[in-house]
This record gives sequence, structure tokens and C-alpha cells, in this order.
Amino acid sequence: MNKQETIEKLKVIVKPYIKDQEAFDTLTEDTDFINNLKINSANLVDVILDIEEEFNIEIDNPSMERMLDVKSAVEIIETKLAEK
Amino acid sequence: MIGNDIVDLALARKESNWKRNRFLDKIFTKEEQWLITESGNPEIMVWNLWSRKEAAYKIYNRQTGIRGYFPIQIVCLYESSTFGTVSINGNTYYTQTTISKDMIHTISVTKREYFNRIKFLNHKAVIVKINGIPFLIENQNTAAKPVSISHHGRFCERITL
Repeated sequence: MNKQETIEKLKVIVKPYIKDQEAFDTLTEDTDFINNLKINSANLVDVILDIEEEFNIEIDNPSMERMLDVKSAVEIIETKLAEK
Repeated sequence: MIGNDIVDLALARKESNWKRNRFLDKIFTKEEQWLITESGNPEIMVWNLWSRKEAAYKIYNRQTGIRGYFPIQIVCLYESSTFGTVSINGNTYYTQTTISKDMIHTISVTKREYFNRIKFLNHKAVIVKINGIPFLIENQNTAAKPVSISHHGRFCERITL
């Protein structure tokens, strides 16, 4: 899976939780889940659980700590997939 | 310093399924999960503890400049449904929580005596954001005062010392 495919899958995952449609439509690697997409911080855990289920990986606490934007999420997913 | 966090219970019910598999494990320590399980009203305990964590994190974020998603490292010491302390990486914060039928609101402070000095701001208060952090401008001659804003669903609260 290349980076663009990972981002596309990630977009599908975050879509139900976003509160800013324009930021979602113009999503880039720099997009922040909370500041830009306005995802509620309690819903960020749903995003993390959905990522775990979709990619069949486990996001440990140190990874979860960095899970604030698209770039970090993609990095974490790619690292965890490579470890499998 | 102060922080605050509001949970609109109707919106929380709609947006979050805290009974979801592994949801509690990602957010709450074993002791906190025990409080939730043993509580007569687990849902209220979930959002009570969550609002304490959020309110304390807001101070921590301001003090340290550290931003991250680490709810499990934000540890609640529960004294009562109203009072408790929260520790984050060696820093301790005091919390005061109000629960009503529709919402849960927690105020966090760095010193207990600050609870007596909390001011609730009305819509007329002039608030500016500096590097994304809100400050109250009272008049031209005084320094900007840190403000904590929390907004969720039907409720919004803006407080300062």
C-alpha cells in the first residue's frame, strides 16, 4: 500500500467524526485532526480503534500520543504494517 | 492557572459509544475503569472522569507547551463526585465537577484556593487568541489574563481567575 492509498483509507475512517467539511475536502498530510477537522477529543479514540480494526494493527500508547494529524497517523500505520 | 471542560450528555450519547470494545482501555487506567464498573451510573462516571482529564490537560498543555493524545497518562484520583486531583507526568491539578441532568462541567486549577476566585465570563468579554491560546482583554492598561474556554453541544463556558 502506498502513502496515497493509506491517506484515502484514513479519510474514510475519519469522515464520520469530522466537524469541518471544508478542511476535510482539502485534507493534506499537515491536516490536524482536532484543530482543523474539529474532531472531538473523545472521538479521537474511535478514530484510533477504527484504524486498528481497518489495518489489523495495534496502536500502542507511545504511538497514540502522536496521533494528532494525518502525517503522524500515516507514519504510525506504515510502521505498524511493516512490523507485521 | 485554570482549565475547564464541558460534556453535553445528549451529544455525548449521540457521538460516543463508551461501551465499544477497548474504548475504556485506551482512555482509562485500571483504577478508573474499576470506578466506572462499580458506579451506580457508569455513563456519568465515564464523562465525569473524562471531563477531569480534559480540564487538567488544558492547564498542562499551557504550562508545558506539550501537546499529545495520552489520556491514560492523565490519572484521576477520585475523592467524590465533585472533588478530586489529576496528575500528569508529576504535575498535580485540583478538580471540581458539577453534574446536572444535561451536562457535566469540570474546572481544574493549580492551587485549591483558586476555586474561590473563578470568574465566569459573559458573552461581552473580549477574548483574543495568542498562539491559539485564549486571553481576556479587560482594558488597555492591564495584562491579558488567561482564559479557559470549553464548548460542547448546547453548552459553552468561559472562565478566568
